[in-house]
Amino acid sequence: MDTQVIGHRTPRVDGEFKLTGQADYTVDWQVRDMLYGYPVSASIAHGTLKTLHLDTARAMPGVVDIFHHGHFPELYRASKNQVSEMRLPFEDERIHYDGQYIALVVAESFEQARAAAHTVQADYHQEEGARTSLLDTNQEGQLLESEGVSRGDPEKAFDEAPVTIDHTYDIAAESHMQMEMHATLAEWRDERLIVHESSQGVVYQHKAMARIFGLPEESVEVVSHYIGSGFGNKLFMWPHAVATAGAAQMLGRPVKTILPRQQDMESGGNRPASRQRLRLGAKQDGTLLSIRHDSTTETSFVHPYVDSLGSATPSLYACDNVAISQRLLEVNHGTPCPMRAPGETSGIHALETALDELAVELGMDPLELRRRNYAKNDPASGLPWSSKYLDDCYTNAAKRFGWEKRNPTPGAMRDGDEVIGWGMATACWPAMRLSCSARVELRDDGSVMAACGTQDIGTGTYTIVAQTVAELSGVPLKDIEVRLGESTLPAGPLSGGSMVTATALPAVAAALRNAFDALKEVATGENGAFEGCDPDNLEIEAGALVDKQGKRVSFGEILSQQKLGSVSGDGQAAPGDEKSQYSFRSFGAHFVEVRWDPGISRLRVARVVSSIDIGRAINPSAARNQVEGSIVMGIGMALTEKLDYDPRDGRLINNNYADYIVPCHADMPEIDVELPDNPDYTLNEFGARGVGEIGLTGIAAAIGNAVYHATGKRIREFPITLEKVMDT
Amino acid sequence: MNMKEYSTQTKAVETETTVTLTVNGEPRQLRIPPNVVLLDALRDRLGLTGTKKGCDHGQCGACTVHIDGQAINSCLTLAVMCEGREVTTIEGLASDAGLHPVQQAFLENDAYQCGFCTPGQMMSASAMLEDERIGTDDAAVREAMSGNICRCGAYKNILAAIQTARGQMPTARKEGEVS
Ligand code: FES
Ligand code: FES
Repeated sequence: MDTQVIGHRTPRVDGEFKLTGQADYTVDWQVRDMLYGYPVSASIAHGTLKTLHLDTARAMPGVVDIFHHGHFPELYRASKNQVSEMRLPFEDERIHYDGQYIALVVAESFEQARAAAHTVQADYHQEEGARTSLLDTNQEGQLLESEGVSRGDPEKAFDEAPVTIDHTYDIAAESHMQMEMHATLAEWRDERLIVHESSQGVVYQHKAMARIFGLPEESVEVVSHYIGSGFGNKLFMWPHAVATAGAAQMLGRPVKTILPRQQDMESGGNRPASRQRLRLGAKQDGTLLSIRHDSTTETSFVHPYVDSLGSATPSLYACDNVAISQRLLEVNHGTPCPMRAPGETSGIHALETALDELAVELGMDPLELRRRNYAKNDPASGLPWSSKYLDDCYTNAAKRFGWEKRNPTPGAMRDGDEVIGWGMATACWPAMRLSCSARVELRDDGSVMAACGTQDIGTGTYTIVAQTVAELSGVPLKDIEVRLGESTLPAGPLSGGSMVTATALPAVAAALRNAFDALKEVATGENGAFEGCDPDNLEIEAGALVDKQGKRVSFGEILSQQKLGSVSGDGQAAPGDEKSQYSFRSFGAHFVEVRWDPGISRLRVARVVSSIDIGRAINPSAARNQVEGSIVMGIGMALTEKLDYDPRDGRLINNNYADYIVPCHADMPEIDVELPDNPDYTLNEFGARGVGEIGLTGIAAAIGNAVYHATGKRIREFPITLEKVMDT
Repeated sequence: MNMKEYSTQTKAVETETTVTLTVNGEPRQLRIPPNVVLLDALRDRLGLTGTKKGCDHGQCGACTVHIDGQAINSCLTLAVMCEGREVTTIEGLASDAGLHPVQQAFLENDAYQCGFCTPGQMMSASAMLEDERIGTDDAAVREAMSGNICRCGAYKNILAAIQTARGQMPTARKEGEVS
């Protein structure tokens, strides 16, 4: 497809709002008579609440009410797939994790709510035996039969393999640390509940709220115009939203709650810690004979969240004998939830590290080992890939990186005081598409409005919707208005799974085409600009209808002539049967240089070269930004990020930005990302497969592999904090 | 759980102070309790919500504003300390002539994703570009900007935007300039 706007670098259409402070994030909303909520959280991780001392708080200036167990509306539970945590706030006195809400103070001002909340004291019956982390225990967890996969005879193949690898890899729990903390503003107007929430899924939250409050779905509206990001922890709502809406209901006044960072980290989701045993069997030439991938992840005692670590493993490499298993262990932590490329980020990390170990064992180049086991079809389903150019990604990125100059001996490459390590890994993420609705309105002033009940979490959805409209209508971007983030709009997808592009754009296109049909009907009707003309003979060109003779009338003029303010089109789009014919995944490769200065114990990621094939990038600048951001996040995962739960009592120790360390400007390496343009039209008419997550897969493994190459130390517990490089 | 009865005690009275300051060139007067921090005063009481809160602890930089031309964390500054001071927020960065060169460069370089850290990044950057203690090379900029976390990880483009803005901003220190 020869395109004018799609596939071309486009400054964000919402850019000026964000850059001038005008964008309305949830935390920015204020409504008349609004009160401020401030949660009080439990200071134990395991036990029961005995007494809450609220007298001091109640007597504080501005305090309106304090909600807690016994003083909160009776509500219904939502189902497991609708919310992040099924347990309702203040449901009972049981304490399952540090940071669980035990009360919500509501006051006239933020300062008053905060001051009062800080005076609340609680007596607990603290119990021994808190399960503080999967990584602190030998407990195995419950085997999840439904997550298991097996083909061939992996056990026998492993036993008979001439070369084997058998190692266990631990990854610490991580925090999303999205910049805008979880926030809810709830307002009841005539039995209708209006919620502003920093959400990755307004349609989903609206359904969950209706169920919890026993309301018809039409009586709930959820709004999220701008989101200070969410890396999965804003997909499904959390108890603070229910607590806030319940408080607003009881008080008859709007209530806004913004979680303080500490509470956001304790109770607003995390990537669960994981332990994975990888057993690989191979021939001397590197051909994989057996892959066994056994994983355990954590969840909380109040919600069974499964981070499916093995889901990419059966598809990534050609191998006849593969077995995947997954266990789940309940721990006394806040409930985990999806975090960017959930499951596969951790799973691919272990597999790609084990492959590096196998390459060392075989004395083979790690890139060559991957090429040797290249999967031409999807080995899991036997289906052909819709589009796979991973071999090009390997070749291009290796070349730009200079991989052929790699000396395989650990520690052999030096630059002054620094030891250089080079490592690589494969990246992979499924390409998904759901059904979706959208609406487009053509207006008499020549402008176009496109609407869909999905969200822009910073990935650039506003812009790609506008680009799609501009491409198909020829209307300039400045005359296109995009509306997202309202549950009353035609239902759109969650901003998750890297599926919004493939899901929403076809629906917008369908709606736009229906709007064109409506416009043509107006134009060819009585007194219309093309009265009597066959609508099929009218073309769309640069915001106008054009007939065979070259007569051209703009959309706006056609409508004005008929005294119409607008015409609109509703559109639906859904996947067809392509999934029965093809397997859909995106692939890529990361090459990483680390520098280790043993004299001052300094470890840095110096350079990353990646080639990531996402089909077509609708907006290449925003797409590349996604991959670069993923690389930065992967550096955190590899070197610094770790939620520290006290091994004595399960309390979260590092619940802030100073103690939980995310990469900053100075940590940023030289990053070179290539997005080869291979449109995948089997997934959708625009050829896009989505880009939000794939960049994070494989990056931590590539860094770990580079650290091994620099130091000769194989660190199997992530993150690779400095002391591990120093003493192992 | 034995819950105590609601207290009948009357509420304590809150003391308030008057603060007069200039915000984005406009004189403003606030009557506030002494525990109100500048960040919350700007957002909740003056309706200037462009300045963001990412941590409330001086750890993330999202709340950066200028006081008398200097970049500070507004979450670590009590509003009452700003008597007679001049505060500039992101809403005051653009002028009638259009976007500030830093804003324009952020737009062109796609130096953001979710946009939540962005006002803080730009307020730090616009002060940093004029700060003679800070070098003009990339490493110096990255070091100086490290108090502004971007969890979306748009650092590469932010750096590019800042260096682009350096060329467009008459008051910015130029490469090779020594202080
Ligand atoms: S909110 Fe002030 S530094 Fe984070
Ligand atoms: S743009 Fe999202 S945190 Fe920086």
